[in-house]
Amino acid sequence: MEEEETYLEFYLDQCTAQDEVVPPRSPPFSPVTSYDVYIPNPSNPEMAFSSHLKDKETSGDFSSVDLSFLPDELTQENKDETVNGSKDEVEKTCKTQSHQSQLPLPKEQDIDLGLNGSGLSSSQSHLHPDDADSVQPSPEKPTSDPLPLASVASMKPMTPVSECSGIVPQLQNIVSTVNLACKLDLKKIALHAKNAEYNPKRFAAVIMRIREPRTTALIFSSGKMVCTGAKSEEQSRLAARKYARVVQKLGFPARFLDFKIQNMVGSCDVRFPIRLEGLVLTHQQFSSYEPELFPGLIYRMVKPRIVLLIFVSGKVVLTGAKERSEIYEAFENIYPILKGFKKA
Amino acid sequence: MPGGRRCPDCDSTELVEDSHYSQSQLVCSDCGCVITEGVLTTTFADEGHLREVTYSQSTGENEQVSRSQQRGLRRVRDLCRVLQLPSTFEDTAVAYYQQAYRHSGIRAARLQKKEVLVGCCVLITCRQHNWPLTMGTICTLIYADLDVFSGTYMQIVKLLGLDVPSLCLADLVKTYCSSFRLFQASPSVPAKYVEDKEKMLSRTLQLVELANETWLVTGRHPLPVITAATFLAWQSLQPSGRLTCSLARFCKLANVDLPYPATSRLQELLAVLLQMAEQLAWLQILKLNKRSVVKHIGDLLQHRHTLVRKAFRDGTAEMEACEREVQGQRQGEEEVGDSSLDLPVRKRPASPALLLPPCMLKPPKQLRPTPPVCTVTGDENISDSEIEQYLRTPEEVRDFQRAQAAGQAAKSLPNP
Repeated sequence: MEEEETYLEFYLDQCTAQDEVVPPRSPPFSPVTSYDVYIPNPSNPEMAFSSHLKDKETSGDFSSVDLSFLPDELTQENKDETVNGSKDEVEKTCKTQSHQSQLPLPKEQDIDLGLNGSGLSSSQSHLHPDDADSVQPSPEKPTSDPLPLASVASMKPMTPVSECSGIVPQLQNIVSTVNLACKLDLKKIALHAKNAEYNPKRFAAVIMRIREPRTTALIFSSGKMVCTGAKSEEQSRLAARKYARVVQKLGFPARFLDFKIQNMVGSCDVRFPIRLEGLVLTHQQFSSYEPELFPGLIYRMVKPRIVLLIFVSGKVVLTGAKERSEIYEAFENIYPILKGFKKA
Repeated sequence: MPGGRRCPDCDSTELVEDSHYSQSQLVCSDCGCVITEGVLTTTFADEGHLREVTYSQSTGENEQVSRSQQRGLRRVRDLCRVLQLPSTFEDTAVAYYQQAYRHSGIRAARLQKKEVLVGCCVLITCRQHNWPLTMGTICTLIYADLDVFSGTYMQIVKLLGLDVPSLCLADLVKTYCSSFRLFQASPSVPAKYVEDKEKMLSRTLQLVELANETWLVTGRHPLPVITAATFLAWQSLQPSGRLTCSLARFCKLANVDLPYPATSRLQELLAVLLQMAEQLAWLQILKLNKRSVVKHIGDLLQHRHTLVRKAFRDGTAEMEACEREVQGQRQGEEEVGDSSLDLPVRKRPASPALLLPPCMLKPPKQLRPTPPVCTVTGDENISDSEIEQYLRTPEEVRDFQRAQAAGQAAKSLPNP
């Protein structure tokens, strides 16, 4: 068919271009290239073809395209590199590649990505009705079939439920930073704001608190601000915006730039006692257990880079995450290890 | 060389002052005859001192090493000698100190940290050779706080990428018990309190093993457990005379500090022993309590493996069963509000207790009611009124400023 001919020409053109140019997209871990196709390994020219193709065609209907040349390993690679199908994760990757997507790029990041996110999620929900539970995803569940509109894409089998722990860590604290981009007079803020404390001899920042969401902020004279105490990423963002608004009302030209989550802390309970001495023997390159100093075992997981505090009662604290999915992934990694130490 | 001296052999005046392996000699340059010799030891430039120069100072080995590092290395050697460690430990500890000093973070650290680093290197060396040295001992020797020590210790282990094995409990028991002054009669130790060292050691070891098996050691400082075990072992070897002696008095007699958690460890250990006693037929009828069970510790330890298996069921499987049971009960009647773990123990006191760490046996804390999961998007509108509530009105600002000024004035007034 002539459609195929055009696509084939396209592919061949792209292939020659591919050889010298590194594909502009793809942080290696992120499968999302354009907003509705998962291509895990775009260095593979065949994949790149699809991604580039998607780039050119906004709403291409690919049902007629013969994609049988795609290797079977597509599913395996997707499984290895696939990340959690959490909404936040997808939103974030969308955000990092927003300059490549066709959606309008927000000038400042204070215009929320909700537009992109909702657009994305709607397409996602259309394509993945079984993945609707994006609030607490299990990382062992596969994210999606890679080419939703293509007939050839093979589905990964869902991992059986017995492999999942069934326990979801609860987020306890989120630390985020934002740049208000204006010099602040801390004395004036401390004078005019009821919820502020400022003791320059002790600490060079104003400590401000709001009731809803219950958080604390450290506001520095350079205009940078740290917001702590929120229980979710959205709450942290809302709280940071409220602090910025307070500063605005005090007469400073505060903006809301570079909001970034710096740390997330989660905790959960496996509900059985753990032999910490045994764990430190088998995993000594990751664990540090000094009962003379601290009753818990400090486990430094390499992938994802999370620090876990494991206690004899079975309670686990996970910290050091920049993403919610890292916490979930870390817990799913540690749970089988802990189960191995269930019987004394 | 002028000076009026002549060679005794060849009568030449050509005499040269030469040094042969740092020994100065006056030599005839014609026949090579040595006329005079200096002393082998050298003196400082100021001859009045006439002090010996040590080997390490005459060679160049310390020229590359900074003075603070030299001081630290000397401290490491001194500490090893004070602790009477084998000589190989000294070399290892010195090597660790030198290795640490190569990192810029350590070189630029405060003197306090460098002092603590000395203790850390010695501790790591001892741990790697399974020499039982506690952090508490090191801290008292180097006059450091435990929190300062812990920070430096964790940092240096991470920095050098070292693999430090855990404290060896059995060896610690032996060295700690040996430090108790109870093996010879003295003015402070009456005859009936004196005990044989070997018997006490073996019984203490068995008690510590029992504590380890029943979750009393994991996550806790090891020393108080050993103190409690030593006390029980000592009491049980001659209960008639010693039941009246308390733990505090025992430690004072033995000239050993009583660690604060030891009393609660003692209570936990006695509770475990009581549980085990209920499984022995001839002890069941005696209806033992925490004092009387001490008399039978010997028997209990003899059969400790079977008794522990019988007295305690596996905590984990039982917990799930209990929870299901409690849930069923809750549907029927009102709960008094106890933990699901406590309930079966109270209702059926004769049945085996759960083998769990004490922190899991306590009733769970009243959790703060989790706030309802409110879907926050982060982009809600922020109403002005909500922000206004955090701002002071102009009148309040004036009042606050006045109050601040008054406070400052009061502070600046000189005290009468």
